[in-house]
Amino acid sequence: MSFLSNFEWSQNIFYLLAGAMVFFGFFTVVTKHILRSAIYLMSVLFFSAGIYLLLGADFLAGAQVLIYIGGIIVLLVFAVMLTRSADLAEDHPPLTRKLFGAAGAITFFVVSAYLIEQSPLIIEKSLPSESASIASLGKSFVDIGASGYALPFELISILLLGVLIGGAVIARKEMRTK
Amino acid sequence: MLRQIVLLSLFLFSTGLYGILTRRSSVGLFIAIEMMINAAIINFVAFNRFLAPSHIDGQVMGIFAMALAAAEVLVGMAILVMLFRQRKNTDIQSMNSLKH
Repeated sequence: MSFLSNFEWSQNIFYLLAGAMVFFGFFTVVTKHILRSAIYLMSVLFFSAGIYLLLGADFLAGAQVLIYIGGIIVLLVFAVMLTRSADLAEDHPPLTRKLFGAAGAITFFVVSAYLIEQSPLIIEKSLPSESASIASLGKSFVDIGASGYALPFELISILLLGVLIGGAVIARKEMRTK
Repeated sequence: MLRQIVLLSLFLFSTGLYGILTRRSSVGLFIAIEMMINAAIINFVAFNRFLAPSHIDGQVMGIFAMALAAAEVLVGMAILVMLFRQRKNTDIQSMNSLKH
């Protein structure tokens, strides 16, 4: 997309996406209704697909929408409905736990932000104009050479197969044995 | 722009950490974990684009992390549905034994 290579434009779009992600990300963890939390998480994932597009990772943005929003969120919503977590789990954390959680999260944020400011890896430069193509991404998955990812790719496929079978076995109806 | 992206993913990770420390229902915990994984993937893609634009390794790692997150949620939800059938709730506090 040509307008994304315009620096001024990409900067503005990034701040728009980042603001939306901060907003929805915050409400994902503080809302009391678990179903609403899932929908807020869906918005966060959708906007991060926008960030991937901005960074030139087109395939990853598509995979994000398909796998995360189409798969994981639907699975979470199904689990909420199957287990009636929406009614059962009252999510009113007591004040002490809220305080401890906020202290932990804020400490982590501040320390990491300080380290990021110190890091030599964080360079001030605009988006590089060239980016790797989807074709090279596809090739790296089947490349058995030193820079390829053929073995982890196969391992992931075996893992997913095992997980699918295992999930079906775990969640099946209990057989009544005499 | 790299700094802003890394700070954004750090914020998402911290809110996920807050969710893990405060949530009681296990679905809420899973939602917080998903957000943390998503923050990590944003970091992978951002560092790939800014520090090594001609390489693709960060995006490959992002796709692997996505597949692992999907696997993790699938097993977690299956265990959750089974536990709910036996315990009739999804409270983390009640999940404290390995056998029933």
